[in-house]
Amino acid sequence: MMRVLGADYRRDLGSRSYPLLVYTLAPLTALVLQSWLPRLLHGYTWFDLPLVVTIYFALARRDPIQGTMMGAGMGIFEDALTHHAIGVNGIAKTVAGFLAGSVGVRIDVDNYIIRLMMTFLLSLLCSVIYILVYRVLLGMDQEWRWLEELMKAVGTSAAASILFPLLDRTQIRD
Amino acid sequence: MLLVVLLAQIIGLAVQVRRTDSGRNTIDPRDPAGVRLIRLWADAVVTPPEQIFHATKLGSVSLWQNYIDLRHTREQNQELQKTIDRLRLEQASLMEDARQGERLQALLDFQQKYIYKTLAAQAIGSSGNDSSRVFYLDKGSADGLERDMAVITPDGIVGKVREVFPHSAQVLAINDPTSGAGVILETTRTRGILRGDAIGRPQIVGILADQRIQPGEKVLTAGGDLVFPRGLPVGEVVRIAPDPDRDSFIDVTVKPAAHLDRLDEVLVITSTQPRFSAEQQQDMAASVVLKGAEAAAIKQQQKASQIMAERLPGLTDPNAPAPATQPPGQDQAAPPAATAPAAPKLLQPKHPDRFTPGAQPQPPQDKESSATHQAGRNP
Repeated sequence: MMRVLGADYRRDLGSRSYPLLVYTLAPLTALVLQSWLPRLLHGYTWFDLPLVVTIYFALARRDPIQGTMMGAGMGIFEDALTHHAIGVNGIAKTVAGFLAGSVGVRIDVDNYIIRLMMTFLLSLLCSVIYILVYRVLLGMDQEWRWLEELMKAVGTSAAASILFPLLDRTQIRD
Repeated sequence: MLLVVLLAQIIGLAVQVRRTDSGRNTIDPRDPAGVRLIRLWADAVVTPPEQIFHATKLGSVSLWQNYIDLRHTREQNQELQKTIDRLRLEQASLMEDARQGERLQALLDFQQKYIYKTLAAQAIGSSGNDSSRVFYLDKGSADGLERDMAVITPDGIVGKVREVFPHSAQVLAINDPTSGAGVILETTRTRGILRGDAIGRPQIVGILADQRIQPGEKVLTAGGDLVFPRGLPVGEVVRIAPDPDRDSFIDVTVKPAAHLDRLDEVLVITSTQPRFSAEQQQDMAASVVLKGAEAAAIKQQQKASQIMAERLPGLTDPNAPAPATQPPGQDQAAPPAATAPAAPKLLQPKHPDRFTPGAQPQPPQDKESSATHQAGRNP
């Protein structure tokens, strides 16, 4: 009875698995596209594909540790492509990955709307953490542009609405 | 686990930040070895696919533009040829000024640097982050790129090379808040530093309020930053606003001349010298030849006009007697005698015909009248 109510049981029950190729290629593709697409879209960067992939795998795997590691890796990689300090995005996405993995244990990850709402909220949270790290931890100026962050959260959710069904098709079914 | 990962990243951040003399924190522009290694790995992962994407895109565009969509190419080619000819003439006119400037600079012991050598490169990727306005080129240290080289387009300046990898380079655009370029306003000769604001608009900061600065004024590079040569186009003033932090100072927003969001091919200035390059000298020589040829052609044309003016009969002859009245019975087709051209200086041809200067068109049906008219007009 305790096993039925426990989080471990729910995690094992609902955890999805994917081919190794998907685990490798999906994050890499997201990182490459995040860097390349703005050149095609004339500087439009109101989306965060690495965050979408982080949230997707953290929710699907229902594992906070995996979400934390993937978030940290994606964030550090993104930072490395900028001229900013490495670790700012890393911290933000680490927290996002951990929260997505933790919440994934408690919610119905098959529900499409819930996953999109999670993406929207975690995108906003990432923006807040990014600004806080800059201002509080580093003591540097960083302007808070709430409207653009809101638009970015909407853009990220829109990207998630396309990517989530695509990634769902790659999962291994029993 | 979460705390360990976060703590590791916070320590990593602490290593990268340093305090300036003014007491403000800033990110060290020279990355520590470990940070540079991470950037190198990230670049090594992202750049090859981006180069493939970019090559594919270029190939499709090239196929379309060079083999399929060739409408108006001939007209464009003619227009371009005319533009080249016009620019060559302008260049030849300006060359004398440039040479005089060189001589004066030599006298003043001041050396103007000219763009000596450039390398064409393709913009293949970006940071993917709207707060970091950097982009990547498909050329790197293997192609001769180095840090702090200026990146331009024919329209205007773009940025400077911030980081160089073996086969790619990271460029910091002029509209990033951490960039800085010395600029000068063309008319008012006001100097300032150009950098981007929070939303990526280039601004000239730290200049005193001046009523003469108006929207539309051109902005050029000042040449004092040791990155951009002097006199390159930067953009034009679009807005002037008071500096929110300092009284009597203004911020001048600039519309960049180069399309920073639509960059494709750029030029990296790999060398500047206090003299013109061989290619530039060749161009100038061609301009001089063209200008000489044009001047000779104009002179020749004037001479020919003069000769023709001397040889051809004028509409009125100052030596001619007063116009006589038209003789009765003359054919209507024949012009009046007053307007008949006279050619007193010409030698008389042995066999005059209707093309002889002074001869009048003769209607074939009236031979007698025509012969009378001809005999009456030829002395």
